[in-house]
Order: sequence, then structure tokens, then C-alpha cells
Amino acid sequence: MIDRGVLRSHRFDPARASGRGTIDVLRSFRTAASLGWKMEANWTDPVLFFIYSVAKPVASALILVFMLQVIAGPAGIALRPFVIVGSALWSFVVSGVAGLAWAVLDDRERYRMLKYIYVSPSSFITILLGRGIARLAVGAMGAGITLAVGVLVLGVPFDLVAVDWPLLGIVLVLGVITISALGVVMAAVCLQTRQESWDYPEVVVGALFLVVGAVFPLSVLPVPLQVLGLISPLTWWIAGVRLALFQGGPSSIGGPGSLWQQLSGELNPTSVQVAAALLLTGAVVTLVSAVLFRAGEARAKDRGLIDRTTGS
Amino acid sequence: MSGLIQGPAIDVRGITRVYKAKPKDVTALAGIDLEVVPGEFFGLLGPNGAGKTTLIKILTTLLLPSAGTARIFGFDVARETKQIRRIMNMVAGGEQSGYGILEAREQLWMFSQFYGLGAREGWRRVDELIDAVGLGEQRHQRVSTLSTGQRQKMNFARGLLNDPWVFFLDEPTLGLDVSAARSVRELMISWRAAVPGRTILLTTHYMAEADELCERIAIVDRGRILAIGSPAELKRRVQRESIFRLELDRLSGGPAGLARLPGVVSAVAATDSPADPNRSARQTVVVNLVLREDSALAGVVAALDGLGAHIVALAKSEPSLEDVFVELVGRGFDDSEDTGGTDQFPIEPHEAGQPDPEEQL
Repeated sequence: MIDRGVLRSHRFDPARASGRGTIDVLRSFRTAASLGWKMEANWTDPVLFFIYSVAKPVASALILVFMLQVIAGPAGIALRPFVIVGSALWSFVVSGVAGLAWAVLDDRERYRMLKYIYVSPSSFITILLGRGIARLAVGAMGAGITLAVGVLVLGVPFDLVAVDWPLLGIVLVLGVITISALGVVMAAVCLQTRQESWDYPEVVVGALFLVVGAVFPLSVLPVPLQVLGLISPLTWWIAGVRLALFQGGPSSIGGPGSLWQQLSGELNPTSVQVAAALLLTGAVVTLVSAVLFRAGEARAKDRGLIDRTTGS
Repeated sequence: MSGLIQGPAIDVRGITRVYKAKPKDVTALAGIDLEVVPGEFFGLLGPNGAGKTTLIKILTTLLLPSAGTARIFGFDVARETKQIRRIMNMVAGGEQSGYGILEAREQLWMFSQFYGLGAREGWRRVDELIDAVGLGEQRHQRVSTLSTGQRQKMNFARGLLNDPWVFFLDEPTLGLDVSAARSVRELMISWRAAVPGRTILLTTHYMAEADELCERIAIVDRGRILAIGSPAELKRRVQRESIFRLELDRLSGGPAGLARLPGVVSAVAATDSPADPNRSARQTVVVNLVLREDSALAGVVAALDGLGAHIVALAKSEPSLEDVFVELVGRGFDDSEDTGGTDQFPIEPHEAGQPDPEEQL
């Protein structure tokens, strides 16, 4: 028989069950980001990793530029900044949204570590965001190099002095938050789904590509799709970066006959309007993503999906 | 919260878990009640599909119960998950888990950070544990290059990073070879023995493992606990007489004479040959002796002395936990409806239920 005296004499100090709040959160985030970076970058030698990381976005941008050249002829040269910026930013969006979802699928299906991560005292979403940041960094690298190729190789006119740095700073911060929020939503979805859902983030981002003015203005779309574009924070983010980098260039939101012009009476939105719209739509998406993630996590926990591997 | 908590390490009341499924829902746990005291090595023994892993998932905050409550050192598994996660940890067997691209030491350090250890403290703890589990030579090896046994040792090191008060082990030796399984069992024993109060909840379908390690065992089948007790208590439930295997150099008149002695239920010649071929060459006699109680053995020994017979070997036969399971359920482990894994316990032959030579006279 068990000596019940053990029960009486044993003392458990509940102070051990307490954490250190923000310090723990920051430490977990930093560690997860470091893990994510190693997973992104350590699978091959640095040269191959660099080529892999930049080849796809640069190739995508070049394809669009040459298509524009063929279709529009010499007039297409003026639109190069528009296409280059949109294409470069889009690779960043894909990386950011997919990063968190793939962290879930990687850890559950491939490494079988999700349950151990989940039962650690760290905040689950903090770890996922840390992992996602690493992929965002890879995406940022690809976007930066695509822009550099546009300026140095394709002759896109770029003046550092003319850049609206305050606007650029604001929209970049808001953009990273918004893209991460979309990634959180996809992570919540992938918690519920099977391992075949690796493509889900790209499918969702691909659908958004149509309506956010990445490589063509919203004004060419039917009104319902323009509405979708105007309520998407990604539309305002891309427009904000374009406006900050190439002031006076064509807008993806406004223009003659656009829904924006019909609603506001102005041809193009101003910097303040773009930043405000990004803040508003981004805040809504971020709040909704937090709610959806909490609900998705609760559902997964209730149904026993956190550690349920679905692969063969 | 202030002050100190007294009470069970694990307190489970009426836990039910139903999985929604087609064509009908599956009840994995059907009203489990369980109490594990601090410092106890407690085992959940049952066939695959009995509900053991589901209970561990609930206790480790991976899964919500459909009904009932469960507490770890007073913290509710459904509402106070953060607190529970700081004082418990878990290791599961039968899986190839790990970030293959990281070194063993890196992976462990990463988890030390998730458990709130400082950077330096984390490295120190990781190195201590790597040495403790015997992975010193593999510390800089990538996880993908570790063997199954080495991965499980690393998994144990991860599970011990936060020095848990409650350690949940879900089939930890599943899929390991004999040597690795022995290392893992030694780890469990030495870790718990090092500090009073450390509690282990082990699930296994290896009966010999449960018998060897656990102070108390709950036999589980189809989501219900059928019996709880120490291995000896559980075995006594099915053993109503004392059974001995007696090997003699001679026995004039045969075993029938022994059967007439007071307290002897039966004495019959064994049909099998002695295990030692040298003994066989000496023409020994083996008798299976059933006594009403152990004390009757003294009369048998005295009678043999009078007959001029000498005892070559004497071993007491005990029922196994499988006998207990069969008695409780009416079928053996192998007859379970859901047997996904092997029931082969990875231990050396002398551990596998054969009489220990030291117990033989």
C-alpha cells in the first residue's frame, strides 16, 4: 500500500507554477524566431539558400515586366515601378501568410513536435509568430532584391531623397502586423486540417492577389471586386509602399472611373488617407484573427487535433 | 495564490471523453476516477485502445474532457493550463519526433527557453541533462542522425528541463530495442528516486514493465478502470493458493505422499523437463505443489527430510498481471479489439517473467 504519510508530509510550492510574464513572452518569441531562421536557412549551404530565396520573386517580377513590355510597348516603361513594387511586395505577403501555417503543419506532421511545443508554458501564438517572422525575413530579403534588380537592371527611376520615409516606416510596420494576422488565421485553419493543407495559404493569397492591386489597378475590376479590394488591408499596404517610394506614380486604388473616385470624389487617396485606411482595416483583420485563432485553438483542443498527425 | 498546497498530485473525478465519429461516437473514457499521491510511481496498464493515452492527453492539457474534472496539484486541467504546464512534462514513445536540422543540444536549449530558463541557465541545464541521459557523445549531432533510442533519451532530457513535479510517460519504451528500453527504465527510476515527491504517471501495455516499475497500477480497459492496487495486491486478487515448483534429487513413493500432508492441496509431477539439462541428466524429480498457504511449506520440507529427499531448487510461482487482466476482463491483452502495436516487452529474457536465479534455493 502507498504510505499516505507521503501525502501529508509533501509540500508543493505553487510559486513554481508562476511565470515571468513579458520576459517569458519575449524569450519565447526570440527563440522561436531563431528556430524558424535555422529551419529556413540551415537546410542547404548559404549560396544555394540565397539563390533559392531570391530567384522566385525576381523571376516573377521579370516575367510581369516583360509581359508588360510586350503588351504596352514603350508605354509600359512608365508602369515598371508599379509592377516591380507590387510583385516584390507580393512575395513578401506569400512568405508571411504561409509561414505561420506551415509552422503548424511542419511541427505537427513532419517533426511531430507540436504537442511538446503546445504543452510548454510558452504562449502558443507567440511561438508561431516567432516562427513566422523568420519566413517573413526571407520574404523581405527576396522583396528587397527584387526592388534592387528593378532599379539597377530595369532602370526604374528611384530617388532616395524623394522617398516619404515617415509614411514608409508606418506602412511597413502596419503591413508586417497585418500580414502576420492573416498568417495567424491560416495557422488556425491548418490546426483543423489534414497535412494536405500545405497549399491552403498560397491558394488564399492567390485569391487575394486578384483584388489588392498588386500588379494592376482596382479600377479595371468589376465593382464588387473593387469593394473587396478596398476592405482588404493588403490593398492599402501596397498602395502605401508605392506612394512612399515613388510619389506621383500611378495609384492602384484611384484613377478615372474607380470606385474610390466615386466614393470620395478625389482621383487618388492621399498619404494620410492610405495610412489611416491601412490602420483601420489592419486593426479589424488583426482583431478578427485573434478571435479566430482562439476559437480554432479551442476547437482543435476539444477535438483532439493538436497532436493528431494525418500523414502516412 | 499563496501558501502551500496539500493534496493529491493527480486528482481525476468522473472524467469522460467522447470522440465524435461516424457512424457513431467513440467513448474513450467512461467516468474515470483516480488519485495519485505526490512521489508515487503510478501505472496505467491496458491494451491498445483502452483509453490510457486519452487520459494522459487530458492531464497534459492537450485535450479537453467531455465531462468531469481533473487537477494536477490542485490546478484544473481545463482552466489553469499555464500553471500546470510549468510543473509537469511529458514524453511519448513510439514516434520519431525532433527537429532533424538542429543539433541535439540546440533543440534542448530551445525548449529550455520555452520553459522560461535564462540563456546561460538553459545551456547549463541542457549539458547536465545530456550527460545524465548518456548523450554526451551525441550532443553536437543533428537530431536527424540520432538512433531511435538516442532520440528517446533526448526526449527524456527535454521532459526533465523544467524539473517537473509530475512526469507523464506515454508508452515511453514503445519501439525501443532491449538496451535502449532498459536505459529509459533506469532513467525513470533514478530520476524519481533523486528527489522525494517527484511523481510519475506511466502508461504501458507491457505488463512486465508496469510490474517492475510501478508502485500502484490501474488496469484500464475500454475507458474504465477495472482495478487499482499495487502489483502484489492485484495479483493476490487472483491467487487464492500458494504455488511452488519443487525440484528434488529423488522422491520415493512419488508426489502422492506429499499430497496427503496437512495444508497441501495438490502435489503433482511436472510434465515439463527441468530447464537445466545437467539436472535432467541427474534424473531429478520436479513437483508442482499447491498449498493452502505458505506456512504449509515447512511441513513439506520436514516430510521430505524424513524421506531422505533433498531439494535441488524451489521457486514460488506467482500469477502475472496478465492473469489479473484475464480474471477482470475475461480475455487476454492479445485478444483486444484494437491492437495497433506490438506487445513484445523489450527486456532481457531473465526479466521476462522467468524465475530469477537468485530466488531459487
